[in-house]
Amino acid sequence: TASREQLRVRYGHIIVFLQKGPLVLVSASKSHQSELQLRSELLHVYHQIVSMLTQASINRIFQCRKNYDLRRLLFGSERVLDALLDVMETEAGFLLSAVQCLPLAPSTRDTISQILQKAITPNLVLSILLYNGQLVSIVQEKMVIEDARLKSTDLHLLLNLIRASSAFQTGEIWTPICLPCFNPDCYFYTYVAYLDPPDCTICLVLLSTDKDAFYAVAECKRKIEEGVRTHNALQCISKVQLCQVCHVGVAELRHFLFKPLDVPDHHSQLPQFTSPEVEAPYSTEEKRIYLMDLYWHLHSRIHSTLRPIKLLYHATQRETLLALVTGKFEMYACFSPLVTKSTAIGAVTKLLRWIKKEEDCLFIRSPPKYSTTPPEARGFSNSRVQTNKTLFGTI
Amino acid sequence: LLACSSAAGSEMASGMQEKQYTPSLLSFFIYNPKFGPREGEEEKKILFYHPSEVEKNEKIRNVGLCEAIVQFTRTFCPTKPAKSLHTQKNRQFFHEPEENFWMVMVVRNPMIEKPSKDGKPATIEYQEEEILDSVYGAVLRQCYSMYKLFNGTFSRAFEAGGVELLRQKLEKFFYRYLQTLHLQSCDLLDVFGGISFFPLDKMTYLKIQSFVNRVEESLSLVKYTAFLYNDQLIWSGLEQDDMRILYKYLTTSLFPRHTEPELAGRDSPLRPEVAGNLLHYGRFLTGPANLKDPEAKFRFPRIFVNTEDSYEELHLIVYKAMSAAVCFMINASVELTREFCEQLDALVGPQLTLLASDICEQYNINRRISGPEKEPQFKFIYFNHMNLAEKSTIHMRKTASVSLTSVHPDLMKILGDINCDFARVDEDEEIIVKAMTDYWVVGKKSDQRELYVILNQKNANLIEVNEEVKRLCATQFNNIFFLD
Repeated sequence: TASREQLRVRYGHIIVFLQKGPLVLVSASKSHQSELQLRSELLHVYHQIVSMLTQASINRIFQCRKNYDLRRLLFGSERVLDALLDVMETEAGFLLSAVQCLPLAPSTRDTISQILQKAITPNLVLSILLYNGQLVSIVQEKMVIEDARLKSTDLHLLLNLIRASSAFQTGEIWTPICLPCFNPDCYFYTYVAYLDPPDCTICLVLLSTDKDAFYAVAECKRKIEEGVRTHNALQCISKVQLCQVCHVGVAELRHFLFKPLDVPDHHSQLPQFTSPEVEAPYSTEEKRIYLMDLYWHLHSRIHSTLRPIKLLYHATQRETLLALVTGKFEMYACFSPLVTKSTAIGAVTKLLRWIKKEEDCLFIRSPPKYSTTPPEARGFSNSRVQTNKTLFGTI
Repeated sequence: LLACSSAAGSEMASGMQEKQYTPSLLSFFIYNPKFGPREGEEEKKILFYHPSEVEKNEKIRNVGLCEAIVQFTRTFCPTKPAKSLHTQKNRQFFHEPEENFWMVMVVRNPMIEKPSKDGKPATIEYQEEEILDSVYGAVLRQCYSMYKLFNGTFSRAFEAGGVELLRQKLEKFFYRYLQTLHLQSCDLLDVFGGISFFPLDKMTYLKIQSFVNRVEESLSLVKYTAFLYNDQLIWSGLEQDDMRILYKYLTTSLFPRHTEPELAGRDSPLRPEVAGNLLHYGRFLTGPANLKDPEAKFRFPRIFVNTEDSYEELHLIVYKAMSAAVCFMINASVELTREFCEQLDALVGPQLTLLASDICEQYNINRRISGPEKEPQFKFIYFNHMNLAEKSTIHMRKTASVSLTSVHPDLMKILGDINCDFARVDEDEEIIVKAMTDYWVVGKKSDQRELYVILNQKNANLIEVNEEVKRLCATQFNNIFFLD
């Protein structure tokens, strides 16, 4: 939890301070994000640092040496933090605390999940397959689900770390990574490999609690590769048609974010959202940031701590925005400025109908599980804490 | 919220309630870093500090912190100074009305005190996001405007009598003025700082204009005039910014202090005097309270206007007859004698009395034509940035102390949020909100005008709400607002 005295100064710019343990993070922003949102971004930055060093080791270092320059440990990882700041500006996953799945026919996804489910080894806890950052399949260890749930933040930070390091694209990588929301004080040992070099769009991530398990985990990868080849899964994945806003059937609708909220808790699935490809007039990087900034603002009004609201409709000269939250979903839609109110409201109905029709492809409803933990090895907090720098090993 | 103690014969039920604390003034200070730039001289920077009992070193620390923050934020944005500082327990607002003169207002955040339970001490939860920067920033700026109206600028006072004179003036003014701030009831109207105009037909308006012209011609000393009826402005010769602060002073301070003598009983000493054959209801609200007494001393308050260019110091004469009030402003260098006041009284009293009845009669005729003033069906607030005209059917009579609203404060804050969103871009926009309580709030901005409507139509949808507001705009605002 964040420290209590949080200062914030504003005039057009907002400057936000956040203190976490011995670290003070400061953000200066011109965007339309609220103080709370900027603070949560700082928290993500803090967590990304934790994902590389662990919280326990940061605290211990500063306890011993109050003037320690943490940059010595972070050397080489500035790119990761830069990438995080960039990606937070353009991707809705951070805003919604949810992940986006690749739209895939349920049968295809099931096939792939089964392949992952069978390729296991003791101490393997998480198997993830991604295509261009979107989730194809995620399979979790049974005990892990009982102990604690994987949070979307952890997944985002993990993906950012992988994406930001080009070294990950060559061969196989075995590296310690901490999942800060899951357990900030210990490392998981992460195996990363792309199944389709040199395109490097299909990424396999396997997490283990055993630092010496590289060969066993690499063997899992080979089994997965074989299974995927047998079923021609790679072609299915790369041929997938991404969501496009025209599918919904509302001419003035330019873009939307949709997050279902009525997820039964026992499914323990990651919170997910869906959103179409960004098209004109938001295709440039600058416009994408501009669009996300609009969404950030809608989100802060809708979820205001002291005066949350149910619906927000904002018509400007450039676009018309609609944000809606119910017990079942939250959605944010961007329309052309010429849209009428009746069209905008009608669009909500059409969107809900389209989501219902496609939901099996858009969302992973019940993530499959496997069991690998021998009973005596339960309790991840007992894992030894690493104090050395991140290891990059290429084999 | 009251939870009753159930155990028989147990301790009292007090302390079982959740207590809500509204925002309140923690401190208010004015400083100029140039007055004490060297180490050891920090105290010289402080020109005014409330509460004065605070220990000297703490004052210096607080001022020093503000200076540091201003410096720090300058590195990010050299042209725009820091405006506010948010912490968990309070908010600080900064205003630099004149170069190097800083005013800081510290407001304690609203909080909820949860009672002690099971031996655990009472906890306090601070509501950090509750108050709006735009509202309290406006209140702070208004503090300066009000000071300047009666005292002129800081720089001039400093030039005339050094730091000592400036400190005296600040102490004299703010000590009293801060007591009149009611921070718990500030809202969107403070952001506007508008003026309520009295609706008049052309004929009556012309009568008033010609009255003003006649008086200005007969009393050549009069430089500016303003005419009000019933706490609403009809005509003003002053610049907008000066009139808006004078208006605030008149309607929240001067007028409420003076009751209406014609409402008094026949034997009341407040009954107007018969002067010759003419009975008139005119009297001075500032200046001589009783013209009959030749020994009684009097003086008129001085105000400062046009401080940006001509910098004029004027006597403020406020003269009232029934519901009509006229302000005459005369160069302060002139000495206003008893004879002058009698002359003014004789000239203006009867004319103003007549005019006041005329206005009243015309107003009643108009009301009869337009239909009885039933409970206004629409709750709205309207403001026009160009002429500062403001109208609210949500606020009941605004007195010096409290401005009562007929809607929940959370809805007023939503209005404030919408106003902040409008302020970001200088274009026509529309924002519609459905609150958690199912109230609808519609905000429209078109061409320098803003309209906020609150609808209590829980089962309505966006389209129906839109139609309702269209209806309001058609009747009251003559299609000023065009968006679909």
